[in-house]
Order: sequence, then structure tokens, then C-alpha cells
Amino acid sequence: MTGKIPPLKEVIVEKGAQGDAFARSILDRLTWLPVRRAPSGETELDVNGLGAGKKILYLLPYRGQFLKPCPGTKEYICCGYQILNVGTNCPLDCSYCILQAYFNLPYLRIFVNLEEEIGHILNRIDAHPEKIFRIGTGEFTDSLALDEITRWTDLLIPLFSARKNVILELKTKTDQIERVLDSNYRKRIVVSWSLNSPYIAAHEEHKAAGLRARLQAARQCQSEGFVLGFHFDPLIFHRGWRDGYLRTLELMDKYLDPKRIIWISLGAFRYMPALKWVIRKRHPATCVLDGEFVAGLDGKMRYFKPIRLEMYAFMKENLDKWNHDLGLYLCMESDEVWRKTLGWSPNNTEGCRRYLDGRVLRFFG
Amino acid sequence: MQEIRLQDIEDRPGPYCMSFGYGLEPLIRSIKAVGLMNSPLLRENLGGALHVIAGYRRIHALKSLGYQEVLCRVLPESQITPLEGLLFSFYDNLATRKLNDVEKGMVLRRLSQCLPEDQILEEYMPLLNLPSHRTTLFLYIELEARLEDEIKLDLARGNLALRAARMLLEMDSRTRWSVFRILSNLTLNVNQQLQFIDYVVDIAKIEKKGVTELLHEPVLVELCTGEGINRPQRTKAVLNFLRSRRLPTLKEAERRFHETVNRLKLPQGVSISASPFFEASQYRLQVLFENGEELRRKIVRLAETEGLLALGDPWREKA
Repeated sequence: MTGKIPPLKEVIVEKGAQGDAFARSILDRLTWLPVRRAPSGETELDVNGLGAGKKILYLLPYRGQFLKPCPGTKEYICCGYQILNVGTNCPLDCSYCILQAYFNLPYLRIFVNLEEEIGHILNRIDAHPEKIFRIGTGEFTDSLALDEITRWTDLLIPLFSARKNVILELKTKTDQIERVLDSNYRKRIVVSWSLNSPYIAAHEEHKAAGLRARLQAARQCQSEGFVLGFHFDPLIFHRGWRDGYLRTLELMDKYLDPKRIIWISLGAFRYMPALKWVIRKRHPATCVLDGEFVAGLDGKMRYFKPIRLEMYAFMKENLDKWNHDLGLYLCMESDEVWRKTLGWSPNNTEGCRRYLDGRVLRFFG
Repeated sequence: MQEIRLQDIEDRPGPYCMSFGYGLEPLIRSIKAVGLMNSPLLRENLGGALHVIAGYRRIHALKSLGYQEVLCRVLPESQITPLEGLLFSFYDNLATRKLNDVEKGMVLRRLSQCLPEDQILEEYMPLLNLPSHRTTLFLYIELEARLEDEIKLDLARGNLALRAARMLLEMDSRTRWSVFRILSNLTLNVNQQLQFIDYVVDIAKIEKKGVTELLHEPVLVELCTGEGINRPQRTKAVLNFLRSRRLPTLKEAERRFHETVNRLKLPQGVSISASPFFEASQYRLQVLFENGEELRRKIVRLAETEGLLALGDPWREKA
């Protein structure tokens, strides 16, 4: 996606969001769109409504916890990330996206009470000065794809940048960096991109910015003082995957200074079994389901272990050739896979958390 | 009440019918023994056509017993709206028996022609023991409307799993039929039905061919119809074949692992197994013994077993 505002058809304002200042400010930026008021409780759509749902902005108050730990499982090592749940779903349409499994709530949901609740979140962070909070908004949506509408970064960057025990990671597949660059803050903000092979980026990451555009945006952020992160997640086993990922690494080398990269994560594609038929139905030409998948210890489908080992080892070997200190880590993998591919293991989630917190301290003090 | 000639009653499932895949035998036995206890209820339209509101199966049973006439309650269409007729039939069925999945689809499809969707979701889905989700509502309506009668019959009788039927629904009718023919010729439990469909859809996609084309491959046809082996053996052979083709690396690893373990010639009562799909890092050693002496003997023998050091990741071993 390279346009500033995604092509929307309608805004729905749920009862609890009507009259809300944040909702009003969003509506003021979308004056050409029809606005519909709705009672509380969203209309469920079936899988056929998923595409249409991506063109409807749904403003509502969120009644759950805004800040939640990443839902890892005990069978695999998790990085101990915290998700700031600002909204769900995104205008991009990646064929492998896990959010498609939540197909009964397909709209672009924006939680309008974030501004009201952010104080509580900051209080929680401030109450634990000994702890480092690695927080991201890009788990249930793209951190920047809707930023021109929501101005999430205007609100969040100053608040998080001012604190010593937190970093805010803005994870995206877009090149929508204007508002981030306009901010006066750089400290404790990590701008990160999800990357893939050129083939996967072009054929499976529909409506995302092209690979080159993402890396150009990353270069611009880096040149303006931002620390960067990258996520090869999901790694997809596809025809020519070695050459493809190598090409992406070459582009990274061309555009970026590896010394200002805080971390690069690797995660082979995995999915809840229920996602498979949604992908088949919505993306019949996709190649993401073609690999050899088996049920993992957490019940999710993942590539058979030697395939994952091969992919991670390949990425590690070639990333090492670029730079030895990229903060490589694996997302949701076992101690065994860590050892056999990266050559070491944090042993458990706590160890992985310490490793990444250490990277935060090194980059931001 | 009127005596009605059975031949004057609409024979095909009409707008109120919610019976499918039933067996008439118990009803026939009952009628033979004590006669018809409850009269059917009919609706007569202005043209004189008689539609069954309640008693569809009773009328079929009477016909098969050779009855010519039956005492019915007949309501002219001015006295009962189509919705009232439908609800009468619905509650009558609900009170006396459990509806199968196809019948639930019949109910929901008919209700959806008379009532708003929200009302069906809120009031009627729970009565059918279904979650009040639009996706579920559409699924049941589609199953009833689009599946062929033979497939519906297997679904109604519980031979075909609902989830398998849903997967069949995603296919065009020719593909669906070719998959169903094999499914009904094998002995597959629910998980195996899902696995079978999943394998053939995946393999066809990966190998860029149609599912029907895949299923017509001579090797698969031979496995499915194989003579000299019974149905469970055929089922196992077909699933094994598809699994090997879909997961060749896994299958090869399993083969090498079993070969390595077999070469060890472990003492009797000692076995080594891998975790499912080798996903866990460790293997499991099991030793059966009656007493400490036998355990000691087996441990010593095990320690002296040649080739133990060959155990490891089977995908690293040389073929």
C-alpha cells in the first residue's frame, strides 16, 4: 500500500464511540465517506465478507485489556513481547494472515478509547521501572497502514519515547512513514518491517508496499535517526526460496546500515488448522499451504522440523555474512531448533526476553 | 377430519417437509401392530393441491403398506399461513425426535424464506442446538440446497462428517462427486475423512492438476478398488499412499528412523519411539520387565547394542 489513506467505503460508529473526541477527529479526516451509526455489538460476516470488511472502518470502544503479553505457548520459546491492542485487522490482504481466522469480525476496527486508557497503561509501565517493556502495535493490525487516519503515532511516540523502561515497535509492511518522520522523537522507538522474498512479497502480500519501497522507507527512517527492526515472519518454503531470500538480503545490504538494526526475527509459517480453509477459499492460487506441514506441539500446523532447520540455518548463515550482530532471534521455536540453527539457545522464554531486553539497553541505554 | 385418498397427497417433499434420510421400518411395524395413531395434517391450496404439514413419514409408510386412504385433518390455506404451517411442522418434529444435519438445513432454508435472518439466529438456531452464527446458518442452508441427494443421505445417516461435507461443498459438483465416491467406498472415521479430502486437495494444488484427475490415476484407482484385501486394508493403503505423496520428507524420515531402530535388534520388550512428526527433540525408550534381574539384564544388553550411536535426526542419516 503506497497511498496515504486506504480505499474505504464507509465508516461505522458503534454506539459507545458516538460523541467520542478520538472518533470525531477520525471522522473529520474522512468527510467524504458515508457514516453509519450502529448499536453495540458488531454484525458478524461470513468468510465472503472478509474482503468487503477491509473497506469499512469500524470505530468502537475496546472493553478488554489494551496491553497484553503476546500469546505464546509453553511448548516453544516466546520473546516476551507486549501487544498494545490499538485495533484489529488491516487494509493489507496477505494470504497467510492469521487475522483471517477471526473472520466473523472482519472490519478495520479502531479502538477509540485508546487515548483515555493510555494513562493506565503508562501507570503500569511506570510502576515497574526495573522491567523493560517491549511493546508493539503491529500484531493485530499494521502499525502504520491506518496511521494517516488514526494518528496513532502522534499519540504514542511522544509518550513512549519519554520513558526509560519501554520501547515502542511500529511494525509495518507499508511505506507510510511520513508521520513517524515528522515526529521530534527518536529514542525508544523502533520502526520495523516485515520482509519476505520478492516472490512472496509480490504474490502473497496483497496491497502491501513492494519490497523495494519498504526498504527505501526503512533507509529513510534509518537516515533520520530511527533504530530499525526486521521480521522474516513468516518464512515461506516456496520454489526458489533460497534465491528469493538471498535477493532480499542483497537489497537490505544495498539500502541499510546493519549496525543500526536492533533485531531481526525469523519465524517459519505456522497456522491454526481453522485458517487453512479460509486461505484456500480466499486465496485459491496461494502457494503458502504447499509445504509439508505437521501438527506442532502447540496444535498449530508448522513445517516439518528439518525444513524449518534448513530455512533458519540458511537465513542465519547469510545474515551473518552481512553482519554478525543483528540480534537474530526465532519466533516461537524450540530450544532444540534454536541450538541447531543459531548455534545457541536462550533456553526458555525468560532467557529470550533477557536477550532482547539486552539489545534494548545496548541501543537505547 | 376427512378421509383422503393417498394418491391425492403431494408425494415430493413440500414446503413444510423437514424429513430426510429416515428409515420407515419402525413406523411400518407400529402401523401394522396398532394402526395409525395420529392423523396427518394437510394444507389445501386454492387449486386443491394437498401439502403435508405434519405426517410426511406416516403417509409414506401407509403408501408402502398399500393403504389407499387415510383420515387427515385438512386446513384450507385461508386458515393457516405458510409460516404457521412451517412452524407447526417444526415444533411437531422438534417435540418428537432429533433432526439430522440435512433436516436442520431444511428447517433453516425454509425459515429463511419467511423470517428475518436475525430472528432465525436468535430464536431458531438454539432450538436446533446450533450456535447462533451467520456462518453456521449459511452452511446448513447451503448443505441442504447444494449437495446431491446421495451425499446428503450419507450426511443424514452419520456416515459423512459435517466438516467433510463442508469441505465437499467448496468443490464443483464433478469434483465433489469423484471425492464422495471414494469416501463412500472406504471405511473412514471422521478424522480420516477430513484427512483424505485435505490430502487430495493439497496434492492436486501442488501438482497443478484437478482433484478428479488425481483420483483417476491408475495407482490410486487400483488402491481404492484393490482386490484381495478388505475395506479397512484398502482404506489404510489409500491414506498411506496419499500421506507419502503429500509429506514425502516426513515419510522418508519415518522410514529411516524405523530402519535404524530395527537394525539395533533391541532385546524383547524394549522399544524406542519418536514423538509425533519428530517435533519434540527427544526419543522415548520403553523397557518392559518383570523384576530387577530382568531389568538389569536388558539394560546391560542395551548398553552393548551396536549401532546405538546411529540414533539421531533421521533426516541427517544417509539413505
